[in-house]
Amino acid sequence: MRNKPAILILVFAAYICACGAVYAHHGNSAYDEARIVTITGTVTEFDFVNPHTQIYLDVKDAKGNVVHWAVESQSPGIMKRNGWSRTSLKPGDQITISLNPAKNGAPVGFSGKKTGKVVFSDGRELMMDER
Amino acid sequence: MQRRALKSIAALTASAALFLLTFPLAGQERPAAKSAASPAPKRDLSGVWQFQSGGGAQGLAPEKDMPPMTPWAQARFATEKPGYGSRATTEGNDPILHCDPMGFPRVIFLPTPFEFVAAPGRMLQFFEREHEWRPIWTDGRSLPKDPDPTWYGYAIGHWEGDDTFVVESSGFNDKSWLGATGYPHSEDMRTVERYRRMDHDTIAYDITVYDPTAYTKPIVAPQKTMKLLAKTDEIEELVCVASEEEAFAKKIRIPAVAQPKK
Repeated sequence: MRNKPAILILVFAAYICACGAVYAHHGNSAYDEARIVTITGTVTEFDFVNPHTQIYLDVKDAKGNVVHWAVESQSPGIMKRNGWSRTSLKPGDQITISLNPAKNGAPVGFSGKKTGKVVFSDGRELMMDER
Repeated sequence: MQRRALKSIAALTASAALFLLTFPLAGQERPAAKSAASPAPKRDLSGVWQFQSGGGAQGLAPEKDMPPMTPWAQARFATEKPGYGSRATTEGNDPILHCDPMGFPRVIFLPTPFEFVAAPGRMLQFFEREHEWRPIWTDGRSLPKDPDPTWYGYAIGHWEGDDTFVVESSGFNDKSWLGATGYPHSEDMRTVERYRRMDHDTIAYDITVYDPTAYTKPIVAPQKTMKLLAKTDEIEELVCVASEEEAFAKKIRIPAVAQPKK
């Protein structure tokens, strides 16, 4: 159990110079644009609504505690042009998502533009780039 | 224990390296309509266009290039708390936080597309953001002398040659910001835009804002680029819904800026 890879959280403290500022509609100052964190967990809710799509997921930390993450993403229109639809995610899906975390350390993040993406359990990937 | 820690560090480093190597591939730009080489149609801008943003905060002009403000505008500016730029704060009061309209010209500089549709006597701009539209009259009429101020103003347009569509606008209210970094404008704002079709897929966009009540000089925006999207790309519905915005604020916006618990 201890080695179960599915519950391994890969946190890349990768300080990447993101190409262009994150556009989160309400201001990027809440999120750390220089940091990209990648988390793996189980989707609990997917809100395909304006002006922000939202993905909620339960992620187990290294100690096995469940942390509930809330992720803001792009508008449904932008998501659609990236191949998304309202049925792209459903509760129970296992996904890995790359995001810019909140600066305050809360389990909240923004996933979008060139650095945000979701990897599904079957290996498929969807971006949320502005287009 | 130490060995395990070293193993973990090595694994993380390797993963991070792999991530860095693969990420740029995943983030590459999608080509636009793939027909840049084909000739640009004459006096025709119809299609879905996307402003090529350098980021959502990119608006009319960089903050350093904004002309000096009048005392009227300085007083307004002091009350604006934007979420972007040199004065960015998490405690912002951007009007769009409670779903006020973006207004013009801010709507132009969003990472969402708009569509140009030509109709007799007018050109129509349909913006995905707010599902809003803007008529640009091309029937030779003049701008109204004393219009009732609106969020999107009143616009007239004409062609210069076969490739440049020139749009003059006035009649704006003063409730919107010029951009996400929070610069005001007055009801006296007038704008002149030039949409020049450089090739089939590209518009070079220039805009100058004349607002002597707010700025001591005109704001001449650096030239920007708009790209034609593929024919399969449509304008989607991006409306700001106050009730959904409120729910979003409770679940994400406020937790993202709340002070961490000690």
